[in-house]
Amino acid sequence: MDVEELVRLLYEDIPRRSSELTHIWAVFWANFKIFLSYRSWVITETLSTVASIAMYSFMGLQVAPDKLSGIGYGDVDWLAFALIGVATANYLWMCISRISHSMLNEIREGTLEYIVSTSIRMRSYIIGQSIRGFLVSGYFMAGVILVGLFLLKVPLVVTFETILSFLMIITLMVGSYVGIGVMIAGIILVYKRGDPLTFLFASITEFLGGVLFPIGYLRSYPLLWSLAWLMPYTYALDAARYILLVGGSLTSPSILNDIIILVVYTFITIPIGFKVFKWGYNRIRAEGTTATY
Amino acid sequence: MKYAVEAFNLTKAFKGEIDNGERGVVKAVDQVNLKVREGELFGLLGPNGAGKTTLIKILCTIILPSEGTAKVNGYDVLEESEKVRSSFGWFHGETGGRSLYWRLSAEDNLRFYAYLQNVPRDVAEKRIDAFLEFFDLMKDRRKLVKDYSTGMKVKVMLARALLHNPPILFMDEPTIGLDTLSSVETRRLLKTLNTELGKTIIFTSHNMFEVEQLCERVAIMRSGKIIIDSSITTLKDTLRDIRAIEVDIRDSKNPDEIIQRLSQMPMVIKILEIRNRADNLFVRLQVEDEYEAIPQITERLHSFGTKIQSIRQVEPTFEDIFVKLTGKE
Repeated sequence: MDVEELVRLLYEDIPRRSSELTHIWAVFWANFKIFLSYRSWVITETLSTVASIAMYSFMGLQVAPDKLSGIGYGDVDWLAFALIGVATANYLWMCISRISHSMLNEIREGTLEYIVSTSIRMRSYIIGQSIRGFLVSGYFMAGVILVGLFLLKVPLVVTFETILSFLMIITLMVGSYVGIGVMIAGIILVYKRGDPLTFLFASITEFLGGVLFPIGYLRSYPLLWSLAWLMPYTYALDAARYILLVGGSLTSPSILNDIIILVVYTFITIPIGFKVFKWGYNRIRAEGTTATY
Repeated sequence: MKYAVEAFNLTKAFKGEIDNGERGVVKAVDQVNLKVREGELFGLLGPNGAGKTTLIKILCTIILPSEGTAKVNGYDVLEESEKVRSSFGWFHGETGGRSLYWRLSAEDNLRFYAYLQNVPRDVAEKRIDAFLEFFDLMKDRRKLVKDYSTGMKVKVMLARALLHNPPILFMDEPTIGLDTLSSVETRRLLKTLNTELGKTIIFTSHNMFEVEQLCERVAIMRSGKIIIDSSITTLKDTLRDIRAIEVDIRDSKNPDEIIQRLSQMPMVIKILEIRNRADNLFVRLQVEDEYEAIPQITERLHSFGTKIQSIRQVEPTFEDIFVKLTGKE
């Protein structure tokens, strides 16, 4: 093809229509393709997930069954209790760190700078990245639960209703943390160091949320107890356990309470998250650090 | 008259290292006023660190100005950044292909950016094919960009900047990393886009030759300021006046005498630089006509037994042009 032929193709000025859905899809699709190109990462991550579940199953042998009988989920098995904690905490951690990790990567590679110069809104970019994060992390969460269920024979209540209710709670949990993830991403844009912040956040969440132990143990420490109930994750995990361990549904009174709190958190944190992100985004534009190659 | 790009007292100051390692405020762009007409092919010249890329990035809404503002396609970069972004295509050669997704293929990279620039799907596919064919990347279209050479990455970046057919093109060193043939083709493409489709092109380069070939008007930047804004005809005349000759002389036993003899030659306007180290003498001369000067200087130096290691014509520096055009040192 010569210059004249190429230029002739551009004679017709075809109108371009901005569509946020197309932008979100493009970001999701490109990032998902990139994820699939890291085949060895997917394999090693899957293997390490299986290994960690095996470790928890051996730890479960050390916990006497009567220790967990009074925590509100019936005669629960420790492995089943921990499995839901580990699956949801990992999922949350991966979702949250995904946004900031992607941002940092795009800054280092110089791709964010180019994205900023196109017609996409940052909101669409974040949503596209997040959907990719939710789906990829979902693969690992499902893996943890399925390995527990079929290989380790963990006693979970699995019916159509509990699966739907569990997915609903996970969606609400993600909703209540999207704002926090976006907020962290906004801060990371400016300071360019993500891991310590997200690691601190994940560790606090896992500890105070009661991933591996009943949260009632924290009652003796009023400050930690109060902090634990300030985190939306605590409510999401309580609801998830109630559904999969006891067979509760969305209409159960205790779960309804959790749902209301998660919805309130969602509505409070998302606008704050986007405000902080906007601050970070404008700050790097002012500092000229949209790329650091 | 309609302007594609206008800058009004545009200033960008960064906190950074100044002289002697001290920290302070560096003005990368300093009170720039600029008007580029619609359909103009405008060259922005300057040495490294002159502020060309920062200026372009402000116009592309990637960097926020510290003071002043600018309009691109009639839209304000601060108030109407979304409309500005759909008005231009940007190429930034300095990145050497880093701004592409290396773990996507060339066609997937182009598809992704076409969607972000709102190009309808069927049109995007047609254009992607055409650009890949033009840049001779058809057979490697599905290869991951990480396996591309720098030149191939540059070609994908050029296609990305043009794919959505914007009215304004910011081409920041578009031939960097390309082989000679591809550079010629790229310059021809830009020229045709300008003459046939009326695209406004802002073209930055270190290369005087490229700018002479392509642009109608040029601005030269130094230390964040536009120090010269002139027509290409004026620049060409200036260049003709001040192109210099460099001579390397071996075993120069009597450098003062050589310098004296050279300066007495009628076509030598000025001795610009002398360096003498271990019997090797380097002289840079400003002459009236470099084509005639080279054989005459060679003959003159040979006549008194001087050994010439090399003699060549060199392009003037931006400083030389500045001094010539403004009369200031």
